[in-house]
Amino acid sequence: MEFRELLKQNPFLILDGGMGTTLQKNGLKPGDVPELLNLERPELIASIHQAYVEAGAQVVYTNTFGANTLKLKRTGKTTAEIVSAAVQLAKAAVGDRALVALDIGPLGELLEPMGQLTFERAYDLFTEIAEAGASAGADLAVIETMTDLYETKAALLAVKEKTSLPVLVTMSFEASGRTFTGCTAESMARTLEGLGADAIGVNCSVGPDQMGDILKTICRCTRLPVIAKPNAGMPDPVDGSYSMGPEEFGKLTAEFADLGVTIFGGCCGTTPAFVREIVKSLKGKQPAEREYDRVSFVCTPVTPLRIEGVRVIGERINPTGKKRFQQALLENDLDYILELGVQQEDAGASILDVNAGYPGVDEVEMLPKVVKKLQSTLSIPLQLDSSNPAALEAGLRVYNGKPAVNSVNGNAEVMARILPLIRKYGAAVVGLTLDSSGIPQTAEGRVEIAKRILDTARGYGVADEDLWIDCLTLTVSAQQEQAAETLKAVRTVHEELGLQIVLGVSNISFGLPNRGLITQNFLIQAMHCGLTLPIINPNQTEMMDAVAAFRVLSGEDVGSNAFIERFADVPKQKAVPVPGGKEELTLELAVMRGLQGDAGRIAKELIQTEEPLALVENYLIPALDKVGDDYEKGVLFLPQLLSAAQAAQSVFEVIRTALAESGAEPVKRGRLAIATVQGDIHDIGKNIVRTVLENYGYEVIDLGRDVPPEVVVQTVEEEELRLVGLSALMTTTLPAMEETIRLLKKLPNPPMVMVGGAVVTPEYAEHMRADFYAKDAKESAEIVKKVLG
Amino acid sequence: MQVDLAEALRYLGAGQADEEFLKTVRRVASELEQAAQPKWRYRVAKVEHTERGELAAGLCLTGNMAKTMLAECNQAALLICTLGAPFETLLRRKQARSMAEAAILDACGNAFVEVGCDEAEKEIAARLPGMYLTDRFSPGYGDLPLSIQPEFCAALDAQRQLGITVTESLLMVPTKTVTAVIGVSDKPQMARIRGCDFCQRRENCTFRKGGRTCGVS
Repeated sequence: MEFRELLKQNPFLILDGGMGTTLQKNGLKPGDVPELLNLERPELIASIHQAYVEAGAQVVYTNTFGANTLKLKRTGKTTAEIVSAAVQLAKAAVGDRALVALDIGPLGELLEPMGQLTFERAYDLFTEIAEAGASAGADLAVIETMTDLYETKAALLAVKEKTSLPVLVTMSFEASGRTFTGCTAESMARTLEGLGADAIGVNCSVGPDQMGDILKTICRCTRLPVIAKPNAGMPDPVDGSYSMGPEEFGKLTAEFADLGVTIFGGCCGTTPAFVREIVKSLKGKQPAEREYDRVSFVCTPVTPLRIEGVRVIGERINPTGKKRFQQALLENDLDYILELGVQQEDAGASILDVNAGYPGVDEVEMLPKVVKKLQSTLSIPLQLDSSNPAALEAGLRVYNGKPAVNSVNGNAEVMARILPLIRKYGAAVVGLTLDSSGIPQTAEGRVEIAKRILDTARGYGVADEDLWIDCLTLTVSAQQEQAAETLKAVRTVHEELGLQIVLGVSNISFGLPNRGLITQNFLIQAMHCGLTLPIINPNQTEMMDAVAAFRVLSGEDVGSNAFIERFADVPKQKAVPVPGGKEELTLELAVMRGLQGDAGRIAKELIQTEEPLALVENYLIPALDKVGDDYEKGVLFLPQLLSAAQAAQSVFEVIRTALAESGAEPVKRGRLAIATVQGDIHDIGKNIVRTVLENYGYEVIDLGRDVPPEVVVQTVEEEELRLVGLSALMTTTLPAMEETIRLLKKLPNPPMVMVGGAVVTPEYAEHMRADFYAKDAKESAEIVKKVLG
Repeated sequence: MQVDLAEALRYLGAGQADEEFLKTVRRVASELEQAAQPKWRYRVAKVEHTERGELAAGLCLTGNMAKTMLAECNQAALLICTLGAPFETLLRRKQARSMAEAAILDACGNAFVEVGCDEAEKEIAARLPGMYLTDRFSPGYGDLPLSIQPEFCAALDAQRQLGITVTESLLMVPTKTVTAVIGVSDKPQMARIRGCDFCQRRENCTFRKGGRTCGVS
C-alpha cells in the first residue's frame, strides 16, 4: 500500500523506535560508522527492523541516518552503495508487512553562515541520498533530527525535486521550544508545509514529558499530519541509561493524540517494547479535532512574524535613484547593502523589501547573494522584489524561512510565471492592482483586478492569507484626485476581500515641499482604511511615530506599553561633554574618542572646504596613530581602538558618498587582500584587522574565511596585488597557511605576505617564509603602511 | 549564569578600564547572558591505563599530560560545554554594527564558556561524592592531540545533544565550545597544570611583560 493511502485508512500511524542506541547495545562503539553495518552485519539490521514490525510499526526507517558523502568519506564506501543496501535489506526484512522509509539525517557539518557548507552543496549531498533511496525502492523518505531549518529545506527540496517519494520531516527541539540554531516551532511548521512536506513533527532531543508544548504549537500552525517520535527521556551522564521505561513512555506519547498528533514512534533509547506500549496506549483513542490557526505570516527561523496589525516593510534596499547603492551593486559591495539592512532593522522594520536589479548587474546571481548576506546577520523576514522570475526563483531557493515576493499583477502572463513559484516555495506574494492596460483610475477598477488576482492565486493553491494587495500610491502633486481613489480601494479590498494591504507610501509626496508631512498624513489615513503593510523608510522617525501612535489607537499596543517605551527617554542627551569645558570637539578628538556620529557630522562640514584626501591625511591618520600608540602602551583596550576605527569609518562613508554624488573616483591609499586560511572559520581577528586597515584608507579585498590557497593566488593575480594578509587561529590550519604562502611565492612576481592569528609566532612566520608577522591589528596597519605607503 | 567580567577583561588585553568602558563591557555581557547560556554534557567512564594511552569511553588519550593527570584515576569525566548557535548569531549581528562591541562580545564568550565548565565541574563533583577531581585539561593543550576531537564529540553524542559538529580541520562549530577531561580519583589530586609554568602563552604574555600575571592560578 502507498504511504498516502495508509495514512488515509488509519486513524493513527505507527513508526519504529531507536536504531542508533539499539546498535550501541549490540556493540557499536562511538566513532564507528553505523551505516557500514548494512554491509557488514545485514542480519542484525534486518532483525531490528523485524522486531519493530512485530511490535506494531507500520513504517521502518532504514539504517541510513548518517549515510552521506561527508560522513562516509573515511569508509571507502559510496552513499549509493550504502543507501541501496540499506533499503534493499529493509524491504526484504519487512516484506509487505510495513513500508520502508529512506532515513535522511543531518549532514554532520553546519551550513553557512554558522559553518562552511553552502546551501547548494548540501542540496547536492541530499540529492545523492534521495536518488539512491528512490531507485532502491524506498516507499517514502523521512528527514529527521534536523536542527537547522536551512539544512532541512535543502533536504526537502532535494527529495521533492529529484524523487516522487512522499516525505516526512521532523526536527529536534529543546525543551525551550527552539532548536539548537534557534528555530521556532511556528517558523518550522509554516515553512515546511509551504515547501510541500507530507507530514511534519518532532523527534529526538527530549522525552515525551517535555514535548507537549512544541507539538501543540505545530498542531496549531499546520494542516498536515503531525508526528511525535520522542526519546526515552534523557540519558544519565554517569551510567548512560535513559530515564524512562516503556510503559510510561507509551502512555505519555499516546497522550499526544489528544493534541491532534496522528503519527507516533520512538527515538534514542527506545526499543520494540516502547513501540508496543504506544500501540497499547492508543487503543480506544481517536485523533483529536484540530483547529488551524489561519494567519498571514512570513518568517526567518528565529523570527516568526504574524501579521496581526500594522507591520512596517523597509524600502531602503533598492537602487532606484540612489547613486551610492547602484555603485555598491556594481562593485559587489554587499557590506554596504547589509549596512542598510541593519539600520532598518534597528529602526523597527518588521520586513525588508530587497531589490537588487540594476542595468549591468546580473540579478539572477545578485539577488540570492544579497539574500544570503542579509540573512547571515539580520533576523527579520525579507520580501524579494523583482520582476524577473529567474531572479525570484534563485532568491526563493536560498531564502531561509518563509519570504514574501513583490510582485505579481493582474496581467495573466505575469501571474502564470510567478504564481507557480509562490506555490512551490510556499511564499506570500504582493499583487499590484494594475494590468496590461495600466493602472485603473478608479477604486472600483483596482478592486476588480484584486479580485482577479485572488481568483487566479486560489487556482494555483495559494492561500488567501498569503496574497497581499497593493492598491498603488500615485503622486498627489500630479494626480490629486487619485489619493482618494487609492484610499477607497484600500478600504474596499480590506473590508470586502479581507486581504492584507501593502502600499508604497512615500510616492505620494513627490514634488512637494515638506514631503514628510504629506507622507505621514497619507500613511495615517491609509492605516485607518486598512493598510497593514506600509512600505516606508523606517529611518524617518515621523513615519515610525505615526505607526506607533496608530497601534495605540487600534488597541494593538496593549496598555500603550510600546508607545511609552518609545518616547520614554526623549529628549535623549545629545551634547557630548568635553573634559575641560571649553575645548572644541575637533575631528581628531571625535575619532580618538570613538564618537561616530560627531565624527561624521564634522566631516560633512569639513568636506565642503577640504579635499577628501586631505581629510584623511591631516585629520584621520594622525588621530588613528595616536590611538594606536595608546593601545600599544597598554593605556587602551582593543575595543577602544576599534571604536576609533569605527568613527573613522563614518568619516570615510561621508567621503565615499560625496565622491559617488560627484562621480569622482573613491579615495584609495592602496590595495591588499586578506583571508582566514582554508579550514579555519574563526574570523573575528581578520575582521578586526580589516576594520582598522579600511580606516587608514586602504582598500581591503576581504576574501572571507575558510579560503582555499588557490583562491588567494587567483585574486592576487587578477587584482595585481602587492600585499596579502593571512590569518589562522588553530594549529590545525597552519599547514593551510603555509601552503598558501608556498603557492604565492611561486608566482612570477610574488606579493609580500603578512601573517597573524592566535597560534602564529614570529618564528613560525619566518619558517613559513612569510615576509611579516603582525602580532595585532595595530601592527598590521604599520606593516601595510611600510609596504603600500 | 553570569559572565566573569574580570576574566573577559583579561582577554581584551592589558588596558586600563575607565568607567565608560566598563559600562560597555557590562552591557555587552548582559546581552550575551540574555541570548545564550552555557550548556554542557558529560559522561563518566572507566579509565584503562595502557601502553598506547589512557582509554576512556572508547577514546584513546595519548601523551604525557593524560598519563600524568590520570595516573591515580580509575575514572574520568569527558566534558563538552558550549554557548551554542545563539552566540554565533549575536556575534555576527554585533560585527555588522560595531567591531568594538564585537571584540568585547568575543572576549565575554570566552570567559562565559569557562564559567559553564566550572559549573559543570561542580555538578560532576556533586554526582561523585567522596571522589577527588583533577584539573581540567583539553585536547589541543600540552601533548593531548586535537585529532581526538571528532571521537570525543561522538562519545558525547554532541551533535544530537548540543548541536556541535567538528570540521575536517578539527574546529568545533559553534565556535565557543570547549572539550575537557577531568580525572576522577579516590585520592586527593594536586594542581598540576594551572599557572604561568604551564601556560602556552607565557613567552608572549603582555601581562608578564608588564611584571603582572593574568591571575589564573
